[in-house]
Amino acid sequence: MNCHEAHSQLYTFIDGETTLVRRIRVRWHLRRCPPCGDGFRFEEALKMRIRQCCREEVPPELTRRLMTFIHEHDSDGSVG
Amino acid sequence: MADQAAFEDDVTEFLPQLYSAALRMTRNPADAEDVLQEALLKAYRGYHTFQAGTNLRAWLYRILTNTFINRYRRKTRRPTEVELGELEDLYLFQRMGEEGPGGAERSAEEEALDLIVDDDIKASLEALPEIFRIPVLLADVEGFSYKEIAEIMDTPIGTVMSRLHRGRKALQKALWDFAEQRGITGS
Repeated sequence: MNCHEAHSQLYTFIDGETTLVRRIRVRWHLRRCPPCGDGFRFEEALKMRIRQCCREEVPPELTRRLMTFIHEHDSDGSVG
Repeated sequence: MADQAAFEDDVTEFLPQLYSAALRMTRNPADAEDVLQEALLKAYRGYHTFQAGTNLRAWLYRILTNTFINRYRRKTRRPTEVELGELEDLYLFQRMGEEGPGGAERSAEEEALDLIVDDDIKASLEALPEIFRIPVLLADVEGFSYKEIAEIMDTPIGTVMSRLHRGRKALQKALWDFAEQRGITGS
């Protein structure tokens, strides 16, 4: 596997959506090619970072408001 | 069949994630609450059709996503897929990787990542056109598999993969533009 082939597997690799055989071939390339290894680790770390910083706290009263809303509209068929 | 009386207990644990997702979709708290409220009411009314023991989280996201799209698609112009253009692989790393101080103790990816500001990540995600924002949100933030995203968005897996791919690159481009504006990039 060369760099170009490895790059074409980048997202399926970091998303865990590739086959075992392909995973092993990509890993083998990353071990032998430090620039690709760094690049792939960066993409993995960026994905983690996006996950961490795009999560929000729910305002405590929001859960209560939402459930109250559902129960109020329980059977009258109207929305909003 | 799921028991409607158990709805509140069953969905409460997913509310923080659903609210976060609604916020990233709508970009503001008032609209996020409206969309989530409407989605939850639809979920509650349709709860008897949910197959207990199957993927409740994906089912709820599917309703949330559809509610958002139906409500906001009318308002916003739908961008075409070609508007993003083509960016090379490892776009951001190729650029950020040049900028770090280059100390021996830290790895190249750690240094590159340190240059990114949290607020810019949120802003970059929210700036993506909707057809790219939703798959990136579902994959990167919510951790859904391609198959789950395809079901949530009612789109073939190949389309999910291509939008995710292009959406991630566009997000990296936006992050780089922010970094340049902040003067993080020295050269």
